[in-house]
Amino acid sequence: MIDAKELTYSYSKGKKNAIEQISFSVDEGEAFALLGPSGAGKSTTQGILTGLLPIQQGEATVAGTDLHHLSRSMFNKIGVSFEQSNVYGKLTALENLEFYRKLFDGSAIDPMTLLKQVGLDQVADKRADTFSKGMKHRLTFARSMINQPQIWFLDEPTTGLDPAIASQIKQIIKERKASGTTILLTTHNMVLADELSDKVGFIIDGQLKLVDTPRNLKLRYGEKLVQVEYKTEDTVKSELLSMVDEQERKRLGDIIHQYEIETMHTREATLEEIFIKVTGRGLV
Amino acid sequence: MLTRIIAVLTRDLKSGLRDAMIAYIMIVPILIAIVLKLLVPSAGANLIHVAVLESADPAFISMLEDHGRVEILADRDALVNRVSAVDDVIGLIETPQGTEMIAGGNEQEGTVEMVTAVVDLWQNRDLEIPVLVRFSDVGWELSPLAQYGTSFLIVFVSVFGGMVVMLNLVEEKQANTLAAINVSAISRLEFVVGKGLLGFILPLFHAFAILLIMGFTSIHIGMTVVVVLSIALISLIFGFVIGIYNDNSMSAVSSMKIGFIPIFGSVFGAMFLDSQWHPFLYWSPFYWAFRSIDQIILQQAVWNDMLLNSLYILLITMMVFALLYKRIKRGFA
Ligand SMILES: Nc1ncnc2c1ncn2[C@@H]1O[C@H](COP(=O)(O)OP(=O)(O)O)[C@@H](O)[C@H]1O
Ligand SMILES: [Mg+2]
Repeated sequence: MIDAKELTYSYSKGKKNAIEQISFSVDEGEAFALLGPSGAGKSTTQGILTGLLPIQQGEATVAGTDLHHLSRSMFNKIGVSFEQSNVYGKLTALENLEFYRKLFDGSAIDPMTLLKQVGLDQVADKRADTFSKGMKHRLTFARSMINQPQIWFLDEPTTGLDPAIASQIKQIIKERKASGTTILLTTHNMVLADELSDKVGFIIDGQLKLVDTPRNLKLRYGEKLVQVEYKTEDTVKSELLSMVDEQERKRLGDIIHQYEIETMHTREATLEEIFIKVTGRGLV
Repeated sequence: MLTRIIAVLTRDLKSGLRDAMIAYIMIVPILIAIVLKLLVPSAGANLIHVAVLESADPAFISMLEDHGRVEILADRDALVNRVSAVDDVIGLIETPQGTEMIAGGNEQEGTVEMVTAVVDLWQNRDLEIPVLVRFSDVGWELSPLAQYGTSFLIVFVSVFGGMVVMLNLVEEKQANTLAAINVSAISRLEFVVGKGLLGFILPLFHAFAILLIMGFTSIHIGMTVVVVLSIALISLIFGFVIGIYNDNSMSAVSSMKIGFIPIFGSVFGAMFLDSQWHPFLYWSPFYWAFRSIDQIILQQAVWNDMLLNSLYILLITMMVFALLYKRIKRGFA
């Protein structure tokens, strides 16, 4: 459904690349998460794949449409939720959705049903400029599924939302995924990526470092992490070491050799720890 | 196709009516027209403006008062002085030979004829045959304020249409709702047409409202539509260009206000300059529009002139568009 090949994009005419040589594919019904810290190039990648940014280098097909020859009908098949909410402030929540549904061919979801799903039905007739940030975000999110998209692009769908609402949104995503929607999710939240996606891509500094299923990642890195606490002269230090990495194995040997060990156990890594292992950096 | 265009149009209208600045722009031409109407003395009262001597026959004075304004002056010198002032006052002195008319020579076309007609009416008052002087030509009944004020206002509202389009566009950019539009199935053409329509509908609505308020109810509707549409087009193009290049409604409005300069310039030029200077205004679409509307109001308009004037406007518009085309295209990307 989504096929990206060696996408490179620069906002500054080639001086600095926001993304470099990004390649991945998402099959029908699959959920793919681009996981990476802020500024990694997630939104830029999504921007290209949704036709908002021109394709500069590389190839991409989305829902059978070659992005070098964009056609409007592609947009009937995709839905896009934006990182920054963007709704008409002078229209009510309901009017926003009523307007947007008219911009598509084919059947749309009833706006009131959508508002109910995201918990905005009580304020359906209130103008969006009276909404809080979270409410605007939910409206933007609701709008992205009005045309019942086959491919759903979600840019940071839960960022900045309070936990109750975030889990509500997560639930909606799960339901749509279960009914066969293909999803491209960008996030710096590894819990979300872990929970929602079939495949995760680690992205940092515009480069896609690794793509795999969360399960494979954990199998490969998980059991082989050792958390060790040891005593130096005056403090207790803690280190997390991979048993896959040659240097880190040596480091563990050195620690055992030099210091008094307080505790030591292997444990399953979180996606975040794996991310740090792979990219050398954290997610924030 | 049509439903999407209408969706964009009605959204802009709905949103615009809830926006203080846009609503203001929509209403203000109507208010100006109402004020203008109140300022213009009712037709008839302003037919003639004459000065007479104190010694004149009271019946003559009261008869003159039926037809316009009458000033009463002490002596001949004062009367001559009054006549030579800038406005269109004509002095009348009764002599045994009849009524002597003193004119300053700078009167508007038709003024002298009207006074003559009224004086004839007085001199023939004893005749039994009905006098067939009727002031049917609107040109005569018109005060310059009503005539020029209305034409000016109509040229001006075309800019307001462009301005509303521009503000709606700026709002889309500011809120980045344009991105949501760009990932929907609406085509660029449908969107631009939907956004632009208000720039035609609003000036048309304004123009006819103004004409109605000012009492010009028997003008040629078809010709009026042609002129208003052609002048709206150029304002619309400016509205689009400014809208695309401004992220802030305040700066956009002030850019748009620069457009007022050629409008004021060419309209006032057309009003006050001697016709030998008019070629200096030929570059301005607003000049041609003003001329057209002026003739429509005077009911002297003929299709040939109207179409020719509109053709000039369209040619100038096309040149402007050709110059700005690249910027427009780049701005939308
Ligand atoms: N509109 C823009 N103009 C210039 N640079 C940008 C723009 N948007 C993003 N960038 C830069 O591109 C890089 C990738 O940004 P982005 O794709 O937004 O990252 P993410 O979504 O992963 O946080 C960053 O270095 C960012 O500063
Ligand atoms: Mg982002």
